[in-house]
Amino acid sequence: MISLSSYLVISLFLFLCGITVMIARKNIIAILLGIELILNASALNFVAYSRFGHNNIDGHIMALFIIVIAAAEAAVGLAIAIRYFQNRETIHIDSATQLQS
Amino acid sequence: MFLNVVFSLSALLTVSGALMVVVTRNLIHSCVFLLMSLLGIVGLYVTLNADFVAATQLVVYVGGVIVLMLFAVMLTGGNNTKEVLSRFGFESLPLMGNVKTYFWGILSAITMMSVAGNLIYRVAQSSLASVLEQYKSSVDEIGTKLLTDHVLSFEISSILLLGALVGAAIIARPLGSKQLNEEK
Repeated sequence: MISLSSYLVISLFLFLCGITVMIARKNIIAILLGIELILNASALNFVAYSRFGHNNIDGHIMALFIIVIAAAEAAVGLAIAIRYFQNRETIHIDSATQLQS
Repeated sequence: MFLNVVFSLSALLTVSGALMVVVTRNLIHSCVFLLMSLLGIVGLYVTLNADFVAATQLVVYVGGVIVLMLFAVMLTGGNNTKEVLSRFGFESLPLMGNVKTYFWGILSAITMMSVAGNLIYRVAQSSLASVLEQYKSSVDEIGTKLLTDHVLSFEISSILLLGALVGAAIIARPLGSKQLNEEK
C-alpha cells in the first residue's frame, strides 16, 4: 500500500488542484494558495523519491529549500496584494491591467 | 499496519483538503482547507521517514504561512464584493475559446495524462527498493549535509530570506507614510 506510485498519485492530484486554482480563481490571494499547493506537491515528490530511492537524504534538503522559498514567496506576494488593495480597492485579478499595452 | 492506517488518513486529509480548496467559494474556508491539506502532507512526511521535514512543514506552514494568508484575507476584505466571491469568474467572462481551442485543449490534456499515467505505471512495475531501511532520525544527517554539500545554497537561502523580509516590509508599508515623514 505504501509505495512510490501512491505518493506520486497524491502529488499529481495536488499539482492538478493547484493548477486549477491558479487558472480558474480570480482572487490574488487564492492564486497564492494554488502556488502553495503546487510547491507542496513538488516537495512531496522529492521526499518520496529520496525515501524509495537509495535512502539518499538530499531530497529532504531540497524539500527544506522549497519550504523556505515558499515562505519568502508568500510574504512578498501577500505584501504586493495588500499594496495593490491599498491603491485600487480590489484584488480582482482582471482589474490589474495597468501594464497591458 | 499502523503505518498503513496513518498513510490512509493522511492521504485522505490531503486529497480532500486540496479538492475543497478548489471547490469552495469562501476564501477563509479555502485557507482553512489548505491548512487541512498541509496537515495531511505532514502525516505523509512522517510515513516517509522524514521527521525533520515534517516538523519544519508543521512550524513554517501551519504556524506561519496560513496565519499570514488569513491576515491578508482579512486586511483586504476578501469576502465583501461579489466578483471576489465568484468561484470561477465565469459569469463575468465570455466563454473562453471556441470549438477548436477546446479540441486542442482536451487533446493535450489526454496526452499529458497518458504520459503521467505511463510514468506512474512504470514506477509501480519496477521494484524500486523493495526492502526499505529501518526508521531512524534524519536530523544529524541533514545537518551534516546542509553544512558540507549544500552550504552554498544554505547561505544563499539566508540572503534570500533577508531580502524577502525587507522587501515585504518596504512594499507593504502604510500608504502616505513618506508624506507624513516629510511633514514632520
